[in-house]
Amino acid sequence: MTLTGLFFYLFSAVLVASGLMVIAARQPVHSVLFLILGFVNAAGLFMLLGAEFLALILVVVYVGAVAVLFLFVVMMLDIDFAELRQGFLNYLPVGALVGVVILVELLVVVGGRAIAPEVVESVPVPIPDHDDVSNTEAIGQLLYTRYLFYFQAAGLILLVAMVGAIVLTLRHKEGVKRQSAAVQIARNPATAIEVRKVEPGKGLS
Amino acid sequence: MEALLESYLPLVVFIGVALVIGLALLIAPFIVAYKNPDPEKLSAYECGFAPFDDARMKFDIRFYLVAILFIIFDLEVAFLFPWAVSFGDLGWFGFWSMMIFLGVLTIGFVYEWKKGALEWD
Amino acid sequence: MTIGLGHYLSVAAVLFTIGVFGIFINRKNVIVMLMSVELILLAVNLNLVAFSSFLNDLVGQVFALLVLTVAAAEAAIGLAILVAFFRNRGSIAVEDINAMKG
Repeated sequence: MTLTGLFFYLFSAVLVASGLMVIAARQPVHSVLFLILGFVNAAGLFMLLGAEFLALILVVVYVGAVAVLFLFVVMMLDIDFAELRQGFLNYLPVGALVGVVILVELLVVVGGRAIAPEVVESVPVPIPDHDDVSNTEAIGQLLYTRYLFYFQAAGLILLVAMVGAIVLTLRHKEGVKRQSAAVQIARNPATAIEVRKVEPGKGLS
Repeated sequence: MEALLESYLPLVVFIGVALVIGLALLIAPFIVAYKNPDPEKLSAYECGFAPFDDARMKFDIRFYLVAILFIIFDLEVAFLFPWAVSFGDLGWFGFWSMMIFLGVLTIGFVYEWKKGALEWD
Repeated sequence: MTIGLGHYLSVAAVLFTIGVFGIFINRKNVIVMLMSVELILLAVNLNLVAFSSFLNDLVGQVFALLVLTVAAAEAAIGLAILVAFFRNRGSIAVEDINAMKG
């Protein structure tokens, strides 16, 4: 148990520190790298909570894809980031005030919370014992049958994201000649060769 | 849950060993390397273009489109994992719910193919 | 030194505040604002998973998976809008995004 506590403090300290660095780093590239560090540590916290599937999906999807997308955009746009940082200190007091107010409110709620006993008794889907049913399997048994509509809505969201990204960013260059393998293969001597009779002393017109 | 966490202990040991080896290889050159610098050695070796330049330049937007399509299909695969693990218990209902999900995403795939988002002109 | 629900909720609260704070102080940089939104969604996911674990209820984890999906789609579309905007205007400063002002 002490080892679990030790890892909890390690993961959450690094998570909070890298979260601070995400918003405070001078270079957006560093922000993205700290975001990756934060996600890895959040995955560690998920693992401590027993949600191993979500922990590993967080690493695969966020570190593997979303953070790389952010990195692409940061490096793709040719922007003077120093200019964008102007006014950083002007916004600091208001931001700090709002941040402290929200944090105090949230911590008051966390400190003063109490869980009603009937909630604990009437859990809709209890987590099965890990030895019998693994975390991934338990999620699978729930997601595709009982939460079918949420699952299909997730599919539709992915479809919209895909179509939206293509509509927003796809521009074809004008006048690019593409290879069409089907047209090439469909050529035969009758369509590809033209035989002309050339009279002596005259060229082809 | 303790058993679950204990099964991940080898991973922690592995990461620790990797960290130690990586840091050792990173720090060792500072300690043991033979140092005798001169300006020519310290200058960056580059052939044909200026050694120092802004690393940030516009590059092609199609890289971005490929990355975004990768995210979408990455998430699709993420949803396939629990389905595959619990496939035996799901029955035909679970099977067809996943087939509808895949069908919806196949519509998107056909769209991007027809729009030529996968072409590299 | 038992780690209870309150510990996880406090970490999530701090992370959420960092995200909100990041949106406030990076008023000119849309990319860092999007990253702050990612941090906020991560804090929400942490809350969901913590409650799921301590109340022994699996539904929180299923919902966290869906939030993860939405967050990834949001990042993809947000960055696509950002790239399209940059191509039209040559800048991503927030105060330039005012073409729809009446």
